[in-house]
Amino acid sequence: MRKRAFLGVLIAATALPGLVLAHGPTRQKVTLTTEVAADPADVWAAIGDFQDMSWHPAVHASTGENGNDIDATRVLTLGAADGPTISEILYKFSDEKMSYSYRITDVKVEVLPVTNYSSHLTVKPRADGGSIVEWRGAFYRGYPNNDPPEELNDAAAIAAVTGVYQAGLDALTAKFGAPGS
Amino acid sequence: MRPVRELALVLALAGSSAAADLAYITCQNGDAVGVIDTTTGAQIVEWSVPGKPAGVAVAQDAVFTVAPEAKTVRRHDPASGTVQASITLDGGPIGIAHDPARGRLFVSDWYNARIWVLDATTLATTAELTVGAAPAGLALSADGRTLASADRDADQVTLFEADSLTPRAQVIVGARPFGLRFGPAGRLFVGNVGSDDVTVIDPDTASVITTVPVGARPYGVAFARGRAFVTNQYEDSVSVINLSTLTTEATLDTGEYPEGIDASRDGSQIIVANWFDNTVTIFSADTLSVLQTVTTCDGPRAFGTFLGGDIQ
Repeated sequence: MRKRAFLGVLIAATALPGLVLAHGPTRQKVTLTTEVAADPADVWAAIGDFQDMSWHPAVHASTGENGNDIDATRVLTLGAADGPTISEILYKFSDEKMSYSYRITDVKVEVLPVTNYSSHLTVKPRADGGSIVEWRGAFYRGYPNNDPPEELNDAAAIAAVTGVYQAGLDALTAKFGAPGS
Repeated sequence: MRPVRELALVLALAGSSAAADLAYITCQNGDAVGVIDTTTGAQIVEWSVPGKPAGVAVAQDAVFTVAPEAKTVRRHDPASGTVQASITLDGGPIGIAHDPARGRLFVSDWYNARIWVLDATTLATTAELTVGAAPAGLALSADGRTLASADRDADQVTLFEADSLTPRAQVIVGARPFGLRFGPAGRLFVGNVGSDDVTVIDPDTASVITTVPVGARPYGVAFARGRAFVTNQYEDSVSVINLSTLTTEATLDTGEYPEGIDASRDGSQIIVANWFDNTVTIFSADTLSVLQTVTTCDGPRAFGTFLGGDIQ
């Protein structure tokens, strides 16, 4: 994530504000999972609050409104107090299913090179005890037009989202331990 | 090669039985087309189609795909998937509609506010039409008179006289129209992804009849049994609209990111492609219950008319 913040300032100049409604031709998807030793309820207690992303190492702070209600919002500040921000909105939340879904409403492509991003975070029971945490995202690349620069193409979008998810899931594995370990 | 032979047999029986419906599902992330027998719920074969195919149109004797990453339109043999013709276009091809009476194809250019007119056999470009910004879905009326283009970033639909290719009208619709299709009474239904509703248009007068609220991010629309079925991408659902009252009568659960939607030729089934789940859900258009959920290739979009036989 922090590396992303350093990504080309030049790139930002090519993303014309008038084109933010458009998007690339191919929506991408990423699904990452990790297995941890703790029970689903314990894991959900740690990550199942839309207003608390402190479990993710890249998130410095989170401020938001309306808790875990549908259409609740949060603004994540990344890295440091003066770091870049990501604005998000909650569109599904279920304690019962241990899952919530959100969309990014505002992020600069030099921070996260995606557009039209939506995501789910879900905790499931693992067959032999413990939990499976699944993080899924759907998004378009950062560059909305044909023939994107390398930093804003489909591969860059997938790599960036994968990096965010992996860092978060790795932190959960470290916190709760791998099953059977 | 056995699956292909079985498919040919199924095709030979087409027309004599509703059991022969085949869904040609473009899988954008997987660079493939999944061919599904919608009665048995079996995926018969998977074609390799490079370039991230999304748009699809099915004719009696051909399946057409649009691969926006490769900027390529292909004509496939419906039995084998063999590419019979292809053309690479300079722009962002996405949506496609087939004009069987005139042997033409219409392909939208997402990036250049135009529609290409192609010869359906050779795929040679024969004309270009100007539309509003970011045209996506295309549809031809059942009587063949009217071509409609959903001009997404212009919040409008452009109507053309299909025969002469002259523009007839621009109709302001909801926000960000993407998918559209003509219904059984000739009315045009337009899904607006930005305003979460469907605009119903009378193409003869080029006027809006009504606007029907649906779920979040309506993507595609299909018709069966006096109903319109609308996929709601962000809501994992299909809105069912009664065509007499033009009100929503039911909401059906789908897989995640439901996108392309089409009806079987006898109107008994509605088929939905679930982009995130890599599945196709087959609904009974009568009972509205799920008949089958079929696993297919990665990232099914099926943007267009994808059921075997010329259903338009």
